[in-house]
Amino acid sequence: MTASYTVLERGPVDPPDRPDSAAERDMPRPAGTDAVWRGPTYYGRQALKPAPFEANVVGGYVFLAGLSGASALIATVADLSMGRRAEALVRRGRYTAMLAPTLGSALLAYDLHTPERFYNMFRVAKGTSPMSIGTWILMSFSGAASLCAAAQFAADRGVGPARGIARAASLPAALAGAGLATYTAALFAATSTPLWAAAPRALAVRFGSSAIASGAAALWLGERDGGLTRRLETLAAAALAVDLTADAVSALIYRRTGVAPALSGPAGMVEKVLATGLGAALPLGLYAASRLAGHRPTRGQGALAALAVLAGGALLRISMIKAGETSARRPDISFRFMQPDNLPEADPARDRPTIGRG
Amino acid sequence: MNILHMHPRAAEHHQSNLDRLIPDESELTAGVKIEAGRSYGFFTDTTVCIGCKACEVACKEWNNLPADNLGMTGQSFDNTGALSANTWRHVAFVEKSGAGGIRDGVEQPFQSGWLMMSDVCKHCHHAPCMEACPTGALFKTEFDTVVVQQDICNGCGYCVPACPFGVVEVSKLDGKAHKCTLCYDRLKGGLEPACAKSCPTDSIQFGELSDLQERAARRVEDLHARGVPSAYLYGTPGAPGATGGMSHLNAFFLLTDRPEVYNLPSAPTRPSRRVAPSLFSGLATVAGLTLAAAFLFAESERRP
Amino acid sequence: MPKMRGVITIAQESRFQLTDADGVSHLFVLSPHMLAENDDLEPLQQSQAPVQVTYSRARNVIGYLAERLERI
Repeated sequence: MTASYTVLERGPVDPPDRPDSAAERDMPRPAGTDAVWRGPTYYGRQALKPAPFEANVVGGYVFLAGLSGASALIATVADLSMGRRAEALVRRGRYTAMLAPTLGSALLAYDLHTPERFYNMFRVAKGTSPMSIGTWILMSFSGAASLCAAAQFAADRGVGPARGIARAASLPAALAGAGLATYTAALFAATSTPLWAAAPRALAVRFGSSAIASGAAALWLGERDGGLTRRLETLAAAALAVDLTADAVSALIYRRTGVAPALSGPAGMVEKVLATGLGAALPLGLYAASRLAGHRPTRGQGALAALAVLAGGALLRISMIKAGETSARRPDISFRFMQPDNLPEADPARDRPTIGRG
Repeated sequence: MNILHMHPRAAEHHQSNLDRLIPDESELTAGVKIEAGRSYGFFTDTTVCIGCKACEVACKEWNNLPADNLGMTGQSFDNTGALSANTWRHVAFVEKSGAGGIRDGVEQPFQSGWLMMSDVCKHCHHAPCMEACPTGALFKTEFDTVVVQQDICNGCGYCVPACPFGVVEVSKLDGKAHKCTLCYDRLKGGLEPACAKSCPTDSIQFGELSDLQERAARRVEDLHARGVPSAYLYGTPGAPGATGGMSHLNAFFLLTDRPEVYNLPSAPTRPSRRVAPSLFSGLATVAGLTLAAAFLFAESERRP
Repeated sequence: MPKMRGVITIAQESRFQLTDADGVSHLFVLSPHMLAENDDLEPLQQSQAPVQVTYSRARNVIGYLAERLERI
């Protein structure tokens, strides 16, 4: 008795490229200041496995988490400093904050490979895992932001004590919102994927500032009060300036640590042209130009800038996830990144000579 | 050189037809008794690997792992390719000479220009996959090994980018993360892991970690004395592979060329060390911008 | 979906080997959407109870994806 197996598709799913010649593979060249690894690789095969995340889904969540956290934060600050004068802004902020607990959570569960077991995320709380930290941040944010939004809804319909409840709940929502807007950078930085791991601080500054810019831009879109729109524009401009500075710093770090080639592909072009250029530099230029010219941007110009900030924020996250995958797939990038000179300053192995050259 | 003698207990089992499991069988096959609370690991000595792939077969057989990616890769005798959800031992083949029509004039003093290495999960002391796991599915066993609990894993995939060696993978079939368990079930039954037991040249040695590390250090000295100066350990404390806060790897290797030749990174780091810097930089940024927002909104309040 | 009857002869984590009446063994992996879990496989293996597996074919793998597992 023989059993016949039919395999639906033969051969490796993704056949990797072979190096051009054996000499190229076998002759180790010292890794100097050169950005790319020129030493041996194993048939050009990947040495790391890229995260099995769907870039658009996870990137979408990371964007919504930033937007919601920042909205809750801005609404709370506006409520505390201006009270009734910023009532409409505060209301919109509290409602916008509901994007992460609703749509964001759905995206997260969708990206699990066994979504039926999403609840296992609540089994433990671990400080070493940003995904676990984030789970609990999202949980506390969801609780506080939902209570805040519900109380806002009730207060608008004349329920007396609801306004106080909304204000009380907005404080924990703002605190958790600050975490929600930034923990996602730690989520990517605390991996072995070279592009994400190369600049943990600069990436976090970028994510945090672009979240605040997105929150200000989203709230601007619904705002009619001239004084408030001007202040939201200034806040967005300040956040974009921080974002662009951190981008310049991270570009230097990427070049020094040798992960810059990960951004040379299509994802890198999206990051450079759309996320940084159109999503940050263009709106910042628009705000700055109108301020220098001494007049406010027109409603159309302002809307264009706000939409550019929002689209840029989303594309920044999606393109960084995709470029990170490239950096994990390319052994020249991962081997260059995991050389002793990229170890932390204090590591004793940092200055050890290269070993194993027989 | 140690000359191995028959274990005295081996005389008790003179028949090949056994009516029951031999208690503490690992004592007979690997010379070590497996007890909970101690550290166990693999020492893979690549200088004696002959590339027979018995470890790959033994692993697939014992763990009931499906064959996948049928076909030839065209990369020497390596038709397995890489460690994956369905492959927990992978023998790498490196042709130091003779590949691609180029033949070196000088042969290597060892292995005649062939490098073979049976790669496996490193069972890191500070395992990045385990530190990253948000469900606690990945855990440290009583034998100091790292195992994924299949009934808890929800396939979030965060352990995959955490691993600096590209070992863990989420299976597209069942949506869970899989990797070498260092034969957790066999260890509990007093059996040596399947790959180590099947290795015909003792390239894969199973044992207690401190014992293995001593044995490996002696082997390196021995090789140096015999004219293989390039031999070194990968994954022992202070050695390459155990950098950046990784402490040491429970499955470590003896190599004779740069780690990259074997598809291993020279200086991996422990990812969880980047959590605090990243988290606090982000929070500081948001705090600063919130302060700016507070000034902006307060300013508008002062206006009439 | 095709069905297969036999006895579970090996159970490892979420994978099991089903040996049919002709003595031919087949490898199955539990589908992520299945109700049965690892802990259900071991008793079935130990009791050597006849079972029926409803399965689908898997891509690029010698094995099947078990969608439903029931005692018969």
